[in-house]
Amino acid sequence: MKKKWRWPLVGFVLGALVGATVLTVNVVGASSPDSAAARAGGFGEILHTPVLLARAGRPVELSYDVVCGALKDAPGPHCSPSGSVYVRPVGQSTFAPLALEREPDGLLSAVVSATDARMGFDYYVVMDNGRGRTATLPEAGADAPQHVWPLADWATVDVGVARFGRSRAPSSVLRAFSWGRGDAAIGLDSGREQSRIGPSAFDVAPDGSIVLLDQVNHRLVVLRRGASPAHIPIEFTGGEGDLAMGADGTIYVLDSSTKPMLRAFTAAGQPISAARLAEPTADMVRIGPGGPLVHAYPSEMWLPTGPDRPPFSPGRQLESAHVARSVGWGLGVVVHASPSEVKLAIVHGNRVEHAWVLRGETSFGEVQLAEPYGDGMVVVVRLWDEKHAEFRVLRLGAEGVEQSFDVAPAEWAESASLSRFRLHGSTLYQLRSDPSGIAIAKFAIGGTT
Amino acid sequence: MKRGLATGLLGGLVVGLLAIGTPAGAYHTHFQYGCNDTFYNHDAVTRADARDYAYIAAAEGYQWGGGCWNGNNVDDSPGDPPEDPNTLGEGPDCSGFTFKSWWERAETGDPWFRYHAWMQNVHGPYSAADFKAGVGASNSTVAKASTTYMDAFASSSHIGMIYWANTAYNQDRIIEAKCEACGTGTWPRTYRGQPEYSGFRRLYWAG
Repeated sequence: MKKKWRWPLVGFVLGALVGATVLTVNVVGASSPDSAAARAGGFGEILHTPVLLARAGRPVELSYDVVCGALKDAPGPHCSPSGSVYVRPVGQSTFAPLALEREPDGLLSAVVSATDARMGFDYYVVMDNGRGRTATLPEAGADAPQHVWPLADWATVDVGVARFGRSRAPSSVLRAFSWGRGDAAIGLDSGREQSRIGPSAFDVAPDGSIVLLDQVNHRLVVLRRGASPAHIPIEFTGGEGDLAMGADGTIYVLDSSTKPMLRAFTAAGQPISAARLAEPTADMVRIGPGGPLVHAYPSEMWLPTGPDRPPFSPGRQLESAHVARSVGWGLGVVVHASPSEVKLAIVHGNRVEHAWVLRGETSFGEVQLAEPYGDGMVVVVRLWDEKHAEFRVLRLGAEGVEQSFDVAPAEWAESASLSRFRLHGSTLYQLRSDPSGIAIAKFAIGGTT
Repeated sequence: MKRGLATGLLGGLVVGLLAIGTPAGAYHTHFQYGCNDTFYNHDAVTRADARDYAYIAAAEGYQWGGGCWNGNNVDDSPGDPPEDPNTLGEGPDCSGFTFKSWWERAETGDPWFRYHAWMQNVHGPYSAADFKAGVGASNSTVAKASTTYMDAFASSSHIGMIYWANTAYNQDRIIEAKCEACGTGTWPRTYRGQPEYSGFRRLYWAG
C-alpha cells in the first residue's frame, strides 16, 4: 500500500466504525424492550355483563370474572379474587354489601333477593385480586352505578325460524365506491394474518347528507345530494372506529385505538376538540340530548363527553355514565340480548315505559340497531347458524311486531361491529360491502308488511 | 498525515451512518433485536391462566410474522408497513398471538403446553387458515354455539380468541392481534354470527 493512503484509510475505517456504533446504540437502544412491564402488578380487569332487565318478582344473579394482571414474565398461578357487590334497591338511600361466592364454573356471583329486586336496584362491585390490588366496576362506584329494571309487562315477539337467503332487496342504493385511495374510492386494509377492514362507520346528517368514516385513508367522505364526494382529512390513529353526527352538523369520530379517543369536527371538517375516554375499550358513539355518548367497556355504560369545549375529563365521564342510552324527553333505550332471547326496553328513570322480548328458533346474534320510532322501536338483530346469517329488521309497536323483513349481511369487509345500520326518519340505511367495494343501501320503514 | 486522517475519518463516518442509518430508518425500530428465545415446557394450564397471559399483550403492537412484546401498554413500533417481517416490530400477528396465548408447542404433533416468554420472538407453525382447518394435535374445531372463553373464531385470514362472551348487545369481547393500525387488544366483535368465521378450541386445558 502506498504510504500516502495509509492515514486516510485508517481514518475511514475509524469513521465507519464510529458511525455504525453511534447509530446502532441509538436506534436499537431506543427500541429495546423495557425490562419492567408497566402492566405488571396491576389489578387486571373485572369482567361482567350487566343484567339491565330482569323478570319482576324473581331473584337476580350478578356474575363476575377477573383477568389477573401478571406480576412477572413467568408462569404463575391465577390470582384469587374476592369481593362484594353493593346493592341499593330503588327507594332506599344506602348500598348494602353482598359477598361474592365462587361458583363451580369459576365465576364469582351474588344473588339479589326478589324482595330487593322488586322495584329495581343499583349496584357496583369492589374486588380484591388476592395480590393486594382492588378495583371497582363501574369505576365511579356509588356515584354512577349499574342499574337493573324489573320487567313486569312486555310484548313477546316470536321471530320464528330464519329463512336464510330470502332477504329483501334495498329500495335504492345511494352510492357505491370501489376499493382504493382515489376520490371515488374507499380504503381497504387487508393482508395475510389480519382482518379485512373497510370503512368503519357512517351516519346521516339532519339534511340527509351522509358522512363515511374512511379511516383507512384517514379521512371523512361527505356525500351530498347531487354533488361529488367531498373529502376531509382527519387524524386517526387506530384501525377502526365509529361516527355520529350532531343536530348542528358536528361530526363526532370515535377512534377505537388501544387508547380510545373521541374527536369532534365542524361540518366543514375543522377540528373542535379531542377527548380521551375513561375506559380502555369503546365501540359506539351516538348522539344524546346532552351531546355525544360513547358506549365503553368493561362497564358497558354510556359515557358522555359533553356538548362543548373542553370535553369532559375521564373522571367526569365516569361520574356521569348511564346504563341506558339517553334519547331525549327523559327516555332511555336499554338492550340485553343472548343467543336465545333479546330484551329491549324504553325506560324513564327507574320506570319501564315499554318492553319487548324477542324469541325464536334461530340463534340471535348482536343487536345492530335499537332506535325509538313512533310509540315503539325499530330494531335490527342478527340471526345466524353455523354457516348462514342475516339481519332481521323489526318495527315494534306497543303490542308487538308491526313490520318485519330480512336484510342480507353484505359484510365482506369489516366495519365497526355495531355501525352497519342507521335510521333517519323512516329510512333505514345499511353500509354494505363486497369484493368490488361498498355501497349505502336504503330500506323504507313503514307500511304493514 | 493529519489531513489525510481527518479526510478518511469524515468519509468513513458518512459511509457508516448511511450504511446503518438508511436501513434503520426504513425498517423502523428493530424492536425484535431485544427479544429472546425463552420458553418452558409446562403442565396443562387453565383457560383463566391463558387469558391472563393474553391480557398482557393488549395495547401492544401488531407485527406480521412477529411474536414478542414487552407489556408496557404501548406499541413500540407503530406504523410499520404491513406484511413485511423485516420491520422487526413489536407484537404478534393474529395466529402467532393465538399460538402463544394457547401455550402451544411448535411441534405440531405434541399437544401439550409450553410457556412462551412475552419477549420470546416466536410465531409458531400455524396460520389462521391452519387453525380454521384444525391443524395441530392440540387444536380442534368446535361449533360456534358451543364456544366459551379462550376458544377462538377463525376465518381464512384472521383469528381472535374469546375474552368475554356475550355482552349486553350480544357481541363477544375478542382478544386479538388485529392489524398494524389496530395493534393487539380487546374489542367487541360479531365473529360468532359471521359465516366466514368458524369455532376453534385448544384441547387439554386443565380447567
